[in-house]
Amino acid sequence: MEDILKLLGGAAATMLLAFVVGATYGGLVRKIIARTQNRVGPPWYQNFVDISKLYMKDTAVHHGVMQHIGPAFAITASVTVLMFVPVLREGGWFPWFENLNFKGDIIFLIYMMVFGSLGMALGIGQTGNPNASIGVSRGLSMMVGYEIPFVLSLVSVMVQTHTTSITGLMEWQTQNGWLMFEAPFAFITMLLAILGMFHYAPFDIAHAPSEIASGPPSEFGGKYLAMMMTSGSIFAFAKLVFLVDVFMNGASNLVMLVVKTLLLYMVPVLYGAVSPRYRTEQAIRYLWGWPVFFGIIALIYSIYI
Amino acid sequence: MGGAILAYLAKRITPMLSSIVSFLAISSAAVVFFTMTSSTDVVTVSVRNFTLQFGLNAYSWVFAAMVMGISALVSLYNIAYMSGKDRLGYFNLNFTLAIMSMMGIVFANDWISFFIFWEIMTWSSFLIVVYNGIDEGKIGTKYMIFSAVGGYAMLMAIVITNSQIDSFLIADLINAYPTFGHGMQAMIGILFLIGFSVKAAVMPLHVWAPRAYSDSPMSFTAIFSGLLSKMGIFGMAIMFISVFSKASIGDTFIYSQVIAWLGGVTAVMATFYAVIQKDAKRLLAYSSIAQLGYIVTGLAIGTKLSVMSALFLAVIHALYKGILFMAVGAVERQAGSTNLEQLGALIRKMPWTFFSALIAAIALAGIPPLGGFVGKWMLYESMITSTNPSHLFLVILIFLSSTAAFLYVYRLLFGLFLGQEEPEWDHVKEAPAPMVIPMVLMALTLILLGYAPGLLFEPIANGMEFLGFENVGWQMSSLSNIWGDTVDMQYVWGSVVTLFVLGAIFITIKNRKSTRYVTTKDIHTSGEIPEAHENLTYAVDFYKPFERAIEPVMRKTMDFYYNHFGNGLESLFGFVRKIYTGNGQTYAMYVVIFLVILLLIGEQIFK
Amino acid sequence: MDTNDKGVRKIVDMITGFARSNSLFMLAYGTGCGDIEIPPAMTSRYDWERFGYRKMATPRQADVLLISGYLATKTLKRVIRSYEQMQEPKYVVAFGSCTINGGMYWDSYNTIKMLDHYIPVDVYINGCMPRPEAVMSGLFDLQEQIKKGEANGAQKYRENLEWYRGNQKKVIKNWVMPEYNW
Repeated sequence: MEDILKLLGGAAATMLLAFVVGATYGGLVRKIIARTQNRVGPPWYQNFVDISKLYMKDTAVHHGVMQHIGPAFAITASVTVLMFVPVLREGGWFPWFENLNFKGDIIFLIYMMVFGSLGMALGIGQTGNPNASIGVSRGLSMMVGYEIPFVLSLVSVMVQTHTTSITGLMEWQTQNGWLMFEAPFAFITMLLAILGMFHYAPFDIAHAPSEIASGPPSEFGGKYLAMMMTSGSIFAFAKLVFLVDVFMNGASNLVMLVVKTLLLYMVPVLYGAVSPRYRTEQAIRYLWGWPVFFGIIALIYSIYI
Repeated sequence: MGGAILAYLAKRITPMLSSIVSFLAISSAAVVFFTMTSSTDVVTVSVRNFTLQFGLNAYSWVFAAMVMGISALVSLYNIAYMSGKDRLGYFNLNFTLAIMSMMGIVFANDWISFFIFWEIMTWSSFLIVVYNGIDEGKIGTKYMIFSAVGGYAMLMAIVITNSQIDSFLIADLINAYPTFGHGMQAMIGILFLIGFSVKAAVMPLHVWAPRAYSDSPMSFTAIFSGLLSKMGIFGMAIMFISVFSKASIGDTFIYSQVIAWLGGVTAVMATFYAVIQKDAKRLLAYSSIAQLGYIVTGLAIGTKLSVMSALFLAVIHALYKGILFMAVGAVERQAGSTNLEQLGALIRKMPWTFFSALIAAIALAGIPPLGGFVGKWMLYESMITSTNPSHLFLVILIFLSSTAAFLYVYRLLFGLFLGQEEPEWDHVKEAPAPMVIPMVLMALTLILLGYAPGLLFEPIANGMEFLGFENVGWQMSSLSNIWGDTVDMQYVWGSVVTLFVLGAIFITIKNRKSTRYVTTKDIHTSGEIPEAHENLTYAVDFYKPFERAIEPVMRKTMDFYYNHFGNGLESLFGFVRKIYTGNGQTYAMYVVIFLVILLLIGEQIFK
Repeated sequence: MDTNDKGVRKIVDMITGFARSNSLFMLAYGTGCGDIEIPPAMTSRYDWERFGYRKMATPRQADVLLISGYLATKTLKRVIRSYEQMQEPKYVVAFGSCTINGGMYWDSYNTIKMLDHYIPVDVYINGCMPRPEAVMSGLFDLQEQIKKGEANGAQKYRENLEWYRGNQKKVIKNWVMPEYNW
């Protein structure tokens, strides 16, 4: 009984942390993009205001049961990923954030990460909005693009360290040094892949607001949009923590965690702030070009090192 | 057990007239099978100097259980699906024959009966492929030619084996194989593999499959793609695990590498083709080929984990592809079309069909926590932990294929069940209960297997131990690879289901009263008011951007090469006609030349 | 917690007002010449994102309907539909003299003169055209109204639906609005 309570408490604490940090990052990103455009930008807490306003919005119409539970799919996926990713390295505050870290591995997480998009896509499909469907078509096609370098990078890391669990990877890094330096090509591949993964420019064609009316979420308002934004904040944080765990040996306290994740997050954000937009097929070809090339080098490197 | 076999054989005569009889026959056979599984008698029938042997072992039990369980459900579906169609007797005879011949194949302990049942299976399925009468000349001929090539290859292998060891028993081949010469090992192996690959639709031999799958009645395609193709896997597993593993080392390596890569390429190419299809049946047909590619790859890699994943996927694939074909069949029967560009928004009309198709699609995509993920996980882990570097590159192909599988899975669900509601499909109603019940039951099985995959690991592990692995470890709900990393399916399942239920509850009770349903015409259209007949669904060329991206690899189909091959053959036969001059002396010369050649190289071949 | 308690009610109202007024998602209905004033207000010169305003693409996500000029009867139909598709609470900001009295289209046979007769307007911004400063000052007014709980145009619309519909039907000759509209 005590175990379950501890698990639930830890899970709630982790979710809260992920939401707070993720939404703050969202605000910071808007601020940073504004600063690069020589604007002042919204305050850092803007995303909290937006999300709470959306939860307070009154009416919500839906086009059927799939649209209704679509956001539930999204939040399931992001929270599940969060539960299986070690937020902090062992020791210190670790017991609070242990959650389900030892019950899954990287392959599982790769699959869990797409669960939400597929569920959301089904909900979006039911609205019957042509713009939304176009967005889904673009988003899913792009997903095939960035999954390949992403997986190549992770496979080469797994081969190099002879473990597929994240906790195993972190132990390996504690002994041998950060994988960022031990597996440089894998890290380069990952940096290129996350440009696509976070859907910032130049890979934001799925959500192009002025072209296809913000694409996938165009029929979602009120509580649905709020839930999608909540899930998005948590998911961004979970992905960043996952990457930090894999390449930078996690973090032993919250401050280090914030520093590392923010540094990593800046890569797609800053790249996106100054980029125009790729068409879908250009994006796929780009992601299957240099990133895959580096990925293959990373794989060869990991085999013969 | 012998009684059961005789019962199957006897029942072949009865199910002439209606689907109900065929359902009763199959389900009673299934009941007999599942109640008598403990017996492992071997029935030996001697016909003059041939010895035919039937019996069940731990390995064939897996396949027999799969065949019986799923075909019993599918034949229930068949009752409703085929009602109102003509030539039912013809169809059901062949339907039942095909299922019974599959049982014959898995029960066969010797190559002769194996081959006989194999041919019965081929013929009965051929007759069903041409049943619908769509383009039967082309599709049927293609299927027949490829099956014939496979069948003759297998027959040759069987005859050669017999000439070597003077026995038709499968067990004898397994024992005697290491004693053969090098060339003989290669020849028998390749011939058998050609025979099995045709049924398993591996890349260069897959050409018959898309049309044959998509143009036979859906109730049979569920069997065709789910079970019949698994007979190729059944044979291949015996060849790979029991036979090749004993070949000289270099050979094993080459076979398994070639087949593994063929499986990987099959998976990728077939997935790409599936993505660009416009018809739900075709899409599923290509997807079947792709999924069989995974299974073949898993078998060819040949480690404990990979073989287990291959056999697990074989069973799971039969389940989810069965559901999907049945769901598409239900849509076809209720709405009269399977065109993904025209259909839409059947979810409110056929909710149960949608539910089972959704579960099956999630399993197909390999998303946790359903059974499909378990199989995929084991396949990836077996490749990543493999000591062979080429498997590490292969894993990328498999990943590419399985990521691209999300595209066609979504396309299928979107095209059939989601999108704008149209007055054209207002008349559509939910399929009758006999069609819905099997689908929902199979969907629930998939959910259960996600929670406790051990239910299926147990027979598979036993079967693998029979095939020659030692100490196949398994746990009820936890997966692990040889590096000792685990995934605990119970926690995964629990976490996903709990969160999903919580999320759904939260989103439902929040403002529950003010949330109401509006039709799909009430969407953001920049203020424009769509009229009732205007269809705004974006369904034509759904993945055009993706098509453009993969265009370079899609230019030439395999058909293209086969057509060239056919043209080449025609000119070859023209040349042959020149050789047969009709002059007796020329023929005599040919005979002499042939004998000389035989003397020269015969020594090498028939050592 | 007793939600009818006065103190609690006040705090809840304060939070609600703060969140609603500081996160205005706009749906800009750019008719006439007025829409040209919105880009400067959005971009680096005036940067309205610092007050939490944001342009949204669809009525489902938006709180504020910005109407930036004259409305022909044909356009009015689309505006009404967009307005009705928005989720409550929702506000309308109309700017330019055209929305107030028809402006230079006073004599036009197919342009409406007072937008207030057709959909409830919370804030009018005067001018032809109002400069971005004026637009933003109008939006500040809207924020104040929301904080005080006075921006209840949607409620007005719901209560006086008959009257609004009558006015709408008077100018829109071929009224083929679908059933599901409201």
